[in-house]
Formats: sequence, C-alpha cells, structure tokens
Amino acid sequence: MRASRRKFLKQSLLATSAAAINLPLGEYASAATADAEAGWRWDKGVCRFCGVGCGIQIATQHGKIVATKADVDAPVNRGLNCIKGYFNGKIPYGKDRLTQPMLRMKNGHFDKKGDFYPVSWEQAFEEMKKQFDRYYSEAGPTAVGFFGSGQQTVQEGYAAVKLFKAGFRSNNIDPNARHCMASAVAGFMQTFGIDEPSGNYDDIEHTDTMVLWGANMAEMHPVLWTRVTDRRLSNPDVRVVNLTTISNMSSGIADLEIVFKPQTDLAIMNFIAREIVKRDAVNWDFVNKHCVFATGPTDIGYGMRGSDKYDNPAEKDTNAKELVMTLNKDEAIAQGKAAGEKVEQKNRAKPDNHWLITLEDFKQGVEPYTLDFVAELAKGDPDESLEDFKAKLTKLADLYIEKSRKVVSFWTMGFNQHQRGTWVNEQAYMVHLLLGKQATPGNGAFSLTGQPSACGTAREVGVFSHRLPADMVVNNPEHRAHSEALWKLPPKTLNPKVGSHFTKMLRDLEDGQMKWAWVQVCNPFQDTANANHWIHAAREKDNFIVVSDVYPGISTKVADLILPSAIIFEKWGAYGNAERRTQMWREQIPAPGQARTDLWQIIEFSKRFKLKDLWKEQPIPGLKEAGFEDGKLPDVLGASPYSREASLYEVLFASPDNKKFLWPDAVSKGHENQTASLLGDHWFPEKALFEEYAQFGRGHGHDLADFDMYFAEGVRGLKWPVVNGKETAWRFNEEYDPYVKKGSGFDFYGKAFKSLPSGNLAGITNTEKTSFPGKAKIFFRPYAAPVEQPDNDYNLWLCTGRVLEHWHSGTMTRRVRELHFAMPAALIYMHPEDAKSRGLKRQSIAWVESRRGKIRAVVETEGRNRPPKGLIYVPWFDESVFINKVTLDATCPISKQTDFKKCAVKIYKA
Amino acid sequence: MRIPSLLIFITVLVTNISVALAAKPIPADSMGLSKVSVFDTPPVKVYNYKGGQPGEDKVLPRAFLNAPPQIPHAITDFLPITAQNNMCIACHNQPGNWDAKREKGMPTPIPRSHYTDLRNAPDKVTDHLINSRYNCNQCHVPQADASPLVENTFDAKAKR
Repeated sequence: MRASRRKFLKQSLLATSAAAINLPLGEYASAATADAEAGWRWDKGVCRFCGVGCGIQIATQHGKIVATKADVDAPVNRGLNCIKGYFNGKIPYGKDRLTQPMLRMKNGHFDKKGDFYPVSWEQAFEEMKKQFDRYYSEAGPTAVGFFGSGQQTVQEGYAAVKLFKAGFRSNNIDPNARHCMASAVAGFMQTFGIDEPSGNYDDIEHTDTMVLWGANMAEMHPVLWTRVTDRRLSNPDVRVVNLTTISNMSSGIADLEIVFKPQTDLAIMNFIAREIVKRDAVNWDFVNKHCVFATGPTDIGYGMRGSDKYDNPAEKDTNAKELVMTLNKDEAIAQGKAAGEKVEQKNRAKPDNHWLITLEDFKQGVEPYTLDFVAELAKGDPDESLEDFKAKLTKLADLYIEKSRKVVSFWTMGFNQHQRGTWVNEQAYMVHLLLGKQATPGNGAFSLTGQPSACGTAREVGVFSHRLPADMVVNNPEHRAHSEALWKLPPKTLNPKVGSHFTKMLRDLEDGQMKWAWVQVCNPFQDTANANHWIHAAREKDNFIVVSDVYPGISTKVADLILPSAIIFEKWGAYGNAERRTQMWREQIPAPGQARTDLWQIIEFSKRFKLKDLWKEQPIPGLKEAGFEDGKLPDVLGASPYSREASLYEVLFASPDNKKFLWPDAVSKGHENQTASLLGDHWFPEKALFEEYAQFGRGHGHDLADFDMYFAEGVRGLKWPVVNGKETAWRFNEEYDPYVKKGSGFDFYGKAFKSLPSGNLAGITNTEKTSFPGKAKIFFRPYAAPVEQPDNDYNLWLCTGRVLEHWHSGTMTRRVRELHFAMPAALIYMHPEDAKSRGLKRQSIAWVESRRGKIRAVVETEGRNRPPKGLIYVPWFDESVFINKVTLDATCPISKQTDFKKCAVKIYKA
Repeated sequence: MRIPSLLIFITVLVTNISVALAAKPIPADSMGLSKVSVFDTPPVKVYNYKGGQPGEDKVLPRAFLNAPPQIPHAITDFLPITAQNNMCIACHNQPGNWDAKREKGMPTPIPRSHYTDLRNAPDKVTDHLINSRYNCNQCHVPQADASPLVENTFDAKAKR
C-alpha cells in the first residue's frame, strides 16, 4: 500500500512537472516505469511478422519475456507498432508449443498410417536420415526437397541453401515467399537486371502522391500506413489513391478510391501509359538516356499443370485453358486479335523470353487502351456510373503526369499474386520510367514485401529453386563457378538444372517425383492454393514429410515427423525488410523443452552425411546443359580436396574458416546461444555463416556490413549496399549510390538480361543481340483475361488475403488472447445484396464452393471490407476456414507465383 | 519462493517422464486449433464483439506494461475512420485530463505519447494528436465473445 501510494505521488509529481516544463516524453516514460522494470533486461529486436520490419525492444526477466515495446530509435517505426507487433512478447507462450520430436509409429516403428509418438532427437534424425537414404539412393537429388520461408533468418536460409544445393546437389528448395514475392523479383530482374527496390520508406515523407495498387496497407503494412497517414493529414496537397477490387480500410485516408475488376489493373496501367504518350508527358531526357523498350510473348499459359491426370472432374474445364485459351472481346481488343480466337499457349516453356522493340511499337501497343475501352473493362463496382469511373481514371492519370508532382506507387499481393504478376510489376516501372519519376527521393515504383525476411533471406540469400546468393542463378555457368569457388566445392558439384518451385514441389509429391521433404518456418499445406490435392498427397502417397515448427498446424498434422523449433526470440538471427534494411537480434530467452533452433536442426542433420554418398554420379532426369552429360551430375569426389569420408558438417559448415569465429563472442553481451552450445566445437554459427554469405555480395552491389556493426549502439539496421560503413538510401541514383557510374546521373547497373534480340509486338525479327548496360526496360505488356472467371454456376469472384490482427496462417497470433478475441474467425465479406439474393444475411453460415473444394464460414456484410456486388473476400489465417481448399493454383507463368486473388465460386446457405 | 518452483519443476519432470514411458499416441486430428482431420470441415461459430455504449463497460486490463489498451465498448457505429471523420478522437482527445483522476464511465484520455511526434520532434509534448496516431484501430481493437483457442502462459510482471 505504502509503496504504491509513494509511486502514485511520484508519478503525479513527474506528470505535473512534465506538463509544466515540457519534459521529453522518453524521460517521463522511463522515470514513470522505472520501478516496474526493476530487474528487466531490455534489448533490441525485430518484429516477427510482416515485411515492414519494425524495430522493437524486448524486456526479459528470469528467462521469460515480460514486455515488448516499439523502438523509438528505429527509423522504420519510431516508437509505433501495430496491434500484432505489440503482442510479439506473447507468441512464444501458447500452451501447446511443440517441445519434443514426434514420429508417426505403430508397434514402435515408423508407420505412415500411425499416430504420433514422442521420440528423442537422436531417433528423429535417425529415421529422417534412413528415409532420406531410401529415396535419394533410388531417385537421386530430385527426389528430395525443402520448403523454406520468407520468415527464416538470413543464416537459416543460407544454411538450408548450402545443405541442399552444395551438399545434396538438389535445387528443390523454394520459399513460401514464392507465393508472396516472386512476381516482384521477376519484375525487378527483367526491368533492372537486379532485385529489390531503388527507394526506401523515407519516400513517404518526400512524396506528394501515393498510389496503392492492390495493397491494403492499412491492414497489411499498418506502420507504413501510419507514415502515409501522417504525410497525408499533415500536408493538404498530398494525395493518396487506393486502387483495389474491394473497398477496404485504406480507403479511409485515400482521396480517391478506384474499385476495379480483377486483373484489369493491366489495362489501367496501359491507359496511364497511353495518356503519358498522348499528352506528350514522356520525360525524353530520362527515357533516351536510361531506358529501352521491350516486350515478350503473350501465349504463356497460366502456370497450371497442362495435364488432367490428377484433376477431379470439376477442375477439368478451367485447367484445359492452360493449353488453349479462347479470347474474349476485351482480351482480343487489348491484344489486337479477334474475339473468339482460340490461342494455343505455345510459349508456356519460355514465358520469360523478351526482346527489344521500338518506341513506335510501344505506342502501337498502348493505343487500344483508350479511356472508353479501359473504363468499360475495368469498372469494378456495378453500382458506380461509368462517367464517375472515367473521371477517376482521368484524375489518376493527371496525378501521375502532373510535372511537379512526386509520385510513389506501392503494391503488394494484388500485383504479385496475379496470373500476369510479372507483367503488372513491369507496368508500374513502365509508368514511372516514362515519367522519369524513379529512384529519386519521393519518386518511384515501390514493391512492398509481405514477410519479415522475404527480401533479406528468400531473395538475397537465394532460397529459390533457380537462385544462388546475391542474385546469381544455378543455370548460369559463371554463377555456379563463382559459388563453387566461394564454397570451396569441386567444379560441377552444383546442379545446373532449375529445381521445382513451391507449388511444383507439392505437385511433385502428388505425382510421386518427390518423396522426401523438409518444411521449415512455413505452413505449405495451409498456404498453397488447391490444397485438397496436397494434403491427400502428403497422407496417401509414398513419401516422408518432416515439418519443423513452433506450434501444430495443418502442415504438422499431415507430417510424418514433427521437429519442435525455437521461435524468433529463442535464437540469434537477421531479417531483411522491404527497404533493403538488414536487422539483427540476439537470443533473448531459452527455447522450451526439447525445442531447437532451425539452424541447429540443419547443421546437426548435416553431420549424418558423408561426401561419398552425395558427390558421386547422380541422376537428374531432364538435365541438359553444356559441359554435362545428359541426365546426370558427374562424380566430383575425385576432384574434391576433401576425404570421401568427410561429413557435410565439416565441409559445409564447421570449416576451418568458419571455426575462426569463436563462441562466446563479445557481441553476445551475456546472451546465450543455443545453436552454438549444442553444436559444441566453440564456434559461432550465426556469425560465421553471415560473414561467409556476405562474401557473395560485397563488391557486387549487395554489400552487407560486418556482423558486429548491426549490434552497435544506435544502429537499427542498415540499408544495403553498405559501402565504407555507409548505407545506401536510393539506389541507381548518382547522388546516393556509390555503384553508379560517375557523371551518369542514373545508372541501372543490374547485369541480368541486358543483351537482347529485337523485334516488334508480334515477335523477334532480328536474333542478333544488342547490349544496353546501365539501362532499364520499359515493357509493353497487354491486358490478359483471368483464366477462370465467374459463370452461371460459380457466379462470384473469390479474393483471399490477410487481416490486420493475424499473421499468415495464424499459428502464432491465434494463440494470443487479445488478437484472437479481436478477430476470432475468418469471415466471408460480401455485398449485402449478393447475400440477400442467395437467402443469406449478416451472420448466416454459408458454404463457399469452387471446382476444387469448399469451406464453411460466417457471412459479414458490414465489416471493414466492403466488396462490390459480384465479389467476396475470405481471409486465409483461419485453419478452420481452410480457404485454400477453394482457391485455384494458377500462377504467373514467369514468376510461378500463385494468384490467390481470383477464382470463381458459388455460395449457399449451410 | 523456492519451494513452489522446485515442486513445479519436479511435477513437470515427472509428467514428462511418464509421457515418455507411457508413450501415449497423439492422433494428428487432436492437434492444432481446429481439432479435426484436415479432410473435415470444422463447425462454425458466430461471434459478436462485446461491449455496449461507451461508458457502460469496465476498462479492460492491460496485457502487459504499456500494452495498447483494448476497446471495451461497441465501435461498429464509429467506423470507418476516415480523413474527414474520426469518432474516437471526438471523445478520447482530452489532453487537459492527462493527470486528472479517472472517473467511472468517462473516456480514457489519449496519453502524452500520442501528442509527441516521435519521428520529427521526439522531445516535445504538443497540444495536438500526432497524425501518425490517427488510425486508432491499427493498435486498439475490440474484443469478441470468444474463448481462447489455447491457453497462453505469458506472465506480465507488471500491468499498467
């Protein structure tokens, strides 16, 4: 009583004096909470959830997190978190944490049809290795695969890539970021020849105009939205436009809301480009000096299988369009063809092919996209008048074109999860490059990322079936040779054949090509479209699936072996956010029970492999590559400097160079390291692997700072390239980027795809290649109709996505009471009249059914999402509303990223 | 202090050993949040957000030190928040009442931190709500009549 009375008086006194002398908030707050925080240890960390990458401070006491707060010193978020971010501290503490390995068994032995039984780590690894050997010795590297993540740490992603690509010689490693960022990557690579944005979040404070294209930032990038809101409300001339298929929370702050029909963003972009040309608003100085024009084939399919072998009868009609698509009226006009024409999709195997065209060709391409045509095609709300919609499109073009106006375009899943995701990303650059509004403060097309390390890990490390670190690829002989040199591998160890992408790996499980898979830091069986196929494949086919996770979810339920993982605060790590900012954190608390870090799991597993079993001759069906015998990888043991008996652990991880990084290390400041302690050998894996990985990018435009620098006082992450200790705010701009050639002004120095044949809109006419170093491409890409559209039976569009309160598949956030109570279940957001015409109303329970599957959920007609008539929105976080049983696994054929935003469904009363 | 924690330790140890020894099967369908087979469709429940008119409901306890408070009253009628209209601010914007004694049924004043521009002028408490704090429902959320799916053992040593 006395103590609290004294505290009350003290606080009151402080409050009075703070008001009187305007004491800084920080001092006020720290004085007021000093008592409560006695004995707490605060340390900097990074939010576990989205791609914004907010800094947090974590308080621990007696090995437990007791509080977190938004980091006032973090430039990303300056003392703010969103509702999820504030609850980082509770996510380790769900009572059903996985704390011991579990294996399906009968009579004491592994049995795919058995129930789970707890086993020791030793037993778990033993069975995992046994099953690996069984399949790998039969079918070689293509029989095994790894499902990675945009939520793995940099070091985890790097270790997994090295284990699979260098150790197992398998390129079947792909991240859930394939579902999230792949179209952005393809757009960057094809446009600039190098991945990731030129700008940074400070663009928000520098710009006059922010245009959201399929990015509901208010819910999905909430802290960036606080910056957008601040900029808008504090500056009357700033404008915010929200282009979306659903009226959503971001419309609250927007000056202009444009509701368009799914996939017509392609047409709206070309309308803007046409306006730029017609109004003579092209920035010729910029375009002539820094750009070329390009296009590619249009008959590229929809990323589906092209075989009906595994289709259920209802799926067959949609899936047949993979091979032949009949053009509708709009698509015909948009592509200068005849309506009703049956177009054989001849370029399915080479969808990324592209060539140079002339300015005249480009103009011809955008010519059909008149205001009348595009407005009629794109108007998404049947209740809006065509005239109003036309006025909005004109206003949008005005804002982009107004000479003195700076413009930033933001997008996320609306563009990326798109059957022409790569094209629409490229169209954003098309508009900004035509106007010369790119790569300067406040100007630029800015691809936002979804996951906390989709950039830092999946993309930069290259946790993809075609990539190697620092934008290199497996099917480039120089890149392989460079990687083999850095990794100290004999020549031709690396497999030149691109592996299976994320969705393909699931298809491979179904058709029996893949037999052994390891899942880390993701939930592929909940997060992949057309999920009925994959959960059946996991449970009913001859295969062995290992799932490392923190909590049980859909993927652990279909696993054969479950490995309990440490959560973010129970390990050391690094994440890289959407503005190229790499951030690191220390281990804060011990993992519960037998839970182990994912990094330890990878490295510990590697101890069980000997080179002689992996680096001998290996079959790779379909491999055809210069310097290789068809269909196989050579034996490289003879050329290897290592003993045949050497383990992957010694060769890939605990190398003499890596063991120079000793644990303990001064940077630990008293924090533990489970990975280092359990591995023994006194080395510091997170630091050693980071420094090894950083060699790939230093001097190549991807420079990361030294490991220790990220832990320095005052550092809250650094934006790469970090050159001479200085981060880079705007890339490709001479004023800011040390890689830009002096005197060039701008230099789009990415090296990929910078030498091309030329042609016209119809195809290549001159195969002789022209080089254009330092230039960016302005692509012409036409409108293409979605492969599945509502019809008389399946008569509504289905769009899926996230919600503010939950992260991804909800396994962490739904175990936090406050977040669960705020959003307890996924709802069917729909127009009240669409509900009424189906005998439904708010809070009715209804079935949502597609050709592929159905779910049951509660109807919401008044919530935060207000779809136009004809479209429903169902979030995917809720495993009880397993919406990916309903969605279509069509992808952008170039990026292989699934379109989760459009398929046809019907809805009826349950 | 020491004895109870030791007891818990022993209990946990014994439980773990007995689990291991008895090796009871754990069916996959009993796991996770849906507690059914992945091939089945779980039952669906209708939830409603709790709370009546502002002032009728008790302030909800904070989850931990300085956690953003949840909204105890109904907010359906106050949404959406738009650039033109923020009905939360209409009641909660009370910088004059920061240090006044809380009265039952009266709105909780938005605190000092929200009047400080942490990005541009972190040392100054102003007299107006900072625009980056304008979207109240990005951090403050209502609570539905749900039950926890799984118990959470997070222990906030201090709640304020």
